[in-house]
Amino acid sequence: MSEPLLSVSDLETQFHTDAGTVFAVDGVSFDVDHGETVAIVGESGSGKTVTSESITSILDTPPGEIVGGTITFDGMDLTTLSETALQDVRGKRISHIFQNPQNGLNPVYTVGRQIGEAIRIHDHGDPEVPVQRQVVDLLDKTGIPEASARVDDYPHEFSGGMKQRVLIAMALACDPDLLIADEPTTALDVTIQGQILRLLEDLQAEHDMGIIFVTHDLGVVSEIADRVVVMYAGKVMETGTVEDIFRNPSHPYTRALMDCLPGRGGSMDRIEGSLPDVTDPPAGCRFSPRCEHATEACRSGDQPPLWGVDNGDTHEASCVYYDAEHDEGELAGGEGATGGHQ
Amino acid sequence: MKWYIVKRVLWTFVVMWIALTLTFGLLVASPDTGQTKSVMSCSASGGDAQQCREQYRERQNLDKPITERYVNYVTNMATLNWGWSESRSQSVMAAISEAWPYTAQYAIPVLVVSTILGYGLGLYSAYKPYTKADYLGSFVGFFGISIPNFWFALVLIILLGTHFEFISTYYQSGIPINQGWASMANITQLLIPSFVLLTASLAWQMRYSRAQAIEQMNQEFVKVAKAKGASQWRLMIHHVFRMAAVPLTTSFVSSLLAIFWSGSVIIEQIFSIPGLGLMTFTAITEQDTTLVLATTMITVFLAIIGNLIEDVSYTILDPRIDYGDR
Amino acid sequence: MAAEDADTATFEDIDWDAQGISTLGVSRAGLAELLSYLGLIAAFVYDYTWNTGPLVFRWDVLSVEWLFIGTLIAIVFHAVIPLSQKPRLRAFYWQRFKKNQVAVVALGWLAVMFVVGVLGPLLIDPPTTQFTNQSVPPVGMSTTVGGVVKTGTWQYPLGTSAKGQGILTLVVYGMRVSMEVGLIATIFSVIIGSAVGAVAAFATSVGRGRIDELLMRYVDVQSVFPDFMLLLLLTYLFGSELWMIILLFGFFSWEGIARTVRGEALQRASEEYITAAEASGANMLYIVRQHLIPNSANSIIISATVGIPGFILGEASLAFLGFSDPTTYSWGRTIATGQVNLASAWWIATIPGVFLFLTVLSFYYVGESLRDAMDPRQEVDGGGGL
Repeated sequence: MSEPLLSVSDLETQFHTDAGTVFAVDGVSFDVDHGETVAIVGESGSGKTVTSESITSILDTPPGEIVGGTITFDGMDLTTLSETALQDVRGKRISHIFQNPQNGLNPVYTVGRQIGEAIRIHDHGDPEVPVQRQVVDLLDKTGIPEASARVDDYPHEFSGGMKQRVLIAMALACDPDLLIADEPTTALDVTIQGQILRLLEDLQAEHDMGIIFVTHDLGVVSEIADRVVVMYAGKVMETGTVEDIFRNPSHPYTRALMDCLPGRGGSMDRIEGSLPDVTDPPAGCRFSPRCEHATEACRSGDQPPLWGVDNGDTHEASCVYYDAEHDEGELAGGEGATGGHQ
Repeated sequence: MKWYIVKRVLWTFVVMWIALTLTFGLLVASPDTGQTKSVMSCSASGGDAQQCREQYRERQNLDKPITERYVNYVTNMATLNWGWSESRSQSVMAAISEAWPYTAQYAIPVLVVSTILGYGLGLYSAYKPYTKADYLGSFVGFFGISIPNFWFALVLIILLGTHFEFISTYYQSGIPINQGWASMANITQLLIPSFVLLTASLAWQMRYSRAQAIEQMNQEFVKVAKAKGASQWRLMIHHVFRMAAVPLTTSFVSSLLAIFWSGSVIIEQIFSIPGLGLMTFTAITEQDTTLVLATTMITVFLAIIGNLIEDVSYTILDPRIDYGDR
Repeated sequence: MAAEDADTATFEDIDWDAQGISTLGVSRAGLAELLSYLGLIAAFVYDYTWNTGPLVFRWDVLSVEWLFIGTLIAIVFHAVIPLSQKPRLRAFYWQRFKKNQVAVVALGWLAVMFVVGVLGPLLIDPPTTQFTNQSVPPVGMSTTVGGVVKTGTWQYPLGTSAKGQGILTLVVYGMRVSMEVGLIATIFSVIIGSAVGAVAAFATSVGRGRIDELLMRYVDVQSVFPDFMLLLLLTYLFGSELWMIILLFGFFSWEGIARTVRGEALQRASEEYITAAEASGANMLYIVRQHLIPNSANSIIISATVGIPGFILGEASLAFLGFSDPTTYSWGRTIATGQVNLASAWWIATIPGVFLFLTVLSFYYVGESLRDAMDPRQEVDGGGGL
């Protein structure tokens, strides 16, 4: 197997706040390949956004700090790169799309100028072609009607969905190898969501990009992802292909998430309890205080390692029921939870 | 946008008219202390009291009916015919044109220096928040806005004036006339007054620009620009400062004018600089109503024009402004 | 009523018990407050019509002191009592406030200034002119004034002025003036500002945009005028009694509060619970007073705290220029009298200035820390991005 495009290994990111140190990301590992979409799934506060923003260090430092792990991208460890070297990576090799298109554009510059900024910073593209021309092409490609007329408009003259297209055009301005999309459709209404997802898929096919798709919405995951990383309280709970996760959700947390999906068991019940205090995480499995299957073994020591599920090498869950001493079947008894008992 | 600016300029005239009407109203409503004083000094020098009063009323146009006085007042003000100063025995316009260079000679340099330094330091503070440099900056800011400038001036006179011969503790108005405005002697005698004014205005601009810049730094578009690969410098100048400039302009002129007017009255009184501030002060103590009104009107007009400049620059700086709104 | 029951969760913000008292009724605290004001007014009327001597044994209450007592009543009923009834809220704000240690020291300084300023003049005789003790330096220092060597004594710890008035006494009396100026003017600007702001916002939310437009346009016009020059003009025209200077300060500086309250209230006014209160028959004044203004309380408190030092500095500057009430002892006036004797008696001008400076500085520090503690927008810092 060749080197993956991006390999995150044992990433640890902390925030130093007045209330204490927040262990936002605590030993997270995953790979992304060319042309592949990896979804990072979790509730708000699970550390998924911090993970995505740690990759090119765009989180605010201070209070944030990457304290451990490696992020290997194209043979470089991004955690050790200098700020100027990172600036060369950002926007050119690795791009971001954010959740809220409303505030993502600077209101005092035209959209053309802001897209052009990325091209100018990185001196990208054919120097013979004027930047303005390249910008119009990008807007065209992201499906903005009458791109050449709209390039000199200001952000407030665009709707939310159109702004997200502008932001996508901006992210694609330098043909990045990896696109990090942080809840890019959450703030949009459902029809627009579908359009944006399809647009991302088309663009991915065209550019052979890797995509990291951060979301809390399992419905979106099933549509777009190849592989899934389920996060909870800064830890990876389960990882596998989209089929592994949806056919056979293995970690109790993943199952609980699935229960929240409409049409799966019919109940919209939220998971009992609340997120643990991230400044003082519980011992053992982070999910144990809310887990109906938790045993003594779950409540002591550290988060269990990722054990293989079904002997497959793609599917792993961080749950003691999947270690050598337990029988997975013990958990399967809880399958009733997904069956809908109400 | 053109229509907006035209409307805005027309509105400026309306406000000026309101201001003139209000001051006229105040003038009519208040007891005319200037009259008593003028009549007293006139009769003291051997004139008939009744005749003196008649003369004064005629000079000040008080013998006419109120509507005529109002129309005269407004037209005179509008045509820059601002009346006769009793205490200085010259026309108000002549008094103003004599006084303003003394104020401008220190106010304009202080304005320029404090704006550049203040915004520069404020932005730097915001760029490195919660560092030692930032704390030092914020202390200087607090110090500058808190220290009463009249007291600061006196303390500087005690501390510096008594130890350094070359620093003058009062202003000799002959120096700029005899040795030139830009002469070394004139500059050294302006050092303390300028420094006092500088502290106040620098501190204000530093604090305000820091607060605005920090507010903008937390905006999502700054993160987007960072993700685009923009350098720190580019982020601060192109995105943070450019956005912060919008709210900064909306209060720039009026706030500075406020600092400079109160500052100039106090500083010119302490150092006896014969500028507009001292003119205002003596006009009040000499109870020269015409001159008091004139100096007030200068500040009001400048403030109104400043406000116009702010609003127009706001529309230029922020494309989001909705012109139908105003 | 049924709809109400179904949606109670969204109506948390309405105190339904208070609602029951009807729109005209007042709560117990409100009644007590009203009675306090009525008592104050009665005492004022009595003092000005029948009473000739001092009102309370030696204390002949001055006009500005009536206003000050009214201000203190307002502070007790709107700050002290609500805070004492909510220990959890108090603990929360204190927790956040005390992170800024300088602000805690500043708060202590202000508390001392307040207590000494309020009680001091009741216990210490007013400064008297004594030509036997002119320009005595502070204790432990000697200086030569007019060829005579003078040594400071404990009788006048901070020395005396050129008229032989004790500087310490002048400073204590000046504290009273500064506290009066700062607090009364602030209360006035808060009352006018929040009333105008809330009414403007409310007018818009019920479709009377004209009223809003008119009010805010007036706010624009007034804020253009340079306050200091206006005050100079007005004190020139109408005299410079302290109560008038204070009221003028209050009257010409409420624009900022009006804008803030309007902005906050406009956001709130569109929220559901206001519509609900309206639907349940509460009148306009009631909604403004019970919902719109309390919800903007934090912003009002923050801008008020920052306003106080401005008033104190402004009054001191006016007094320094000679526009002050001859019956009161403003720090600014004491500093001005020292200006003539700067070379021979430095302490007259400098010592009151130190108090003025530290008081103003303390107000700014407390204001800053209060904003950090109370402004919800500040919470974005730190844990953001999770």
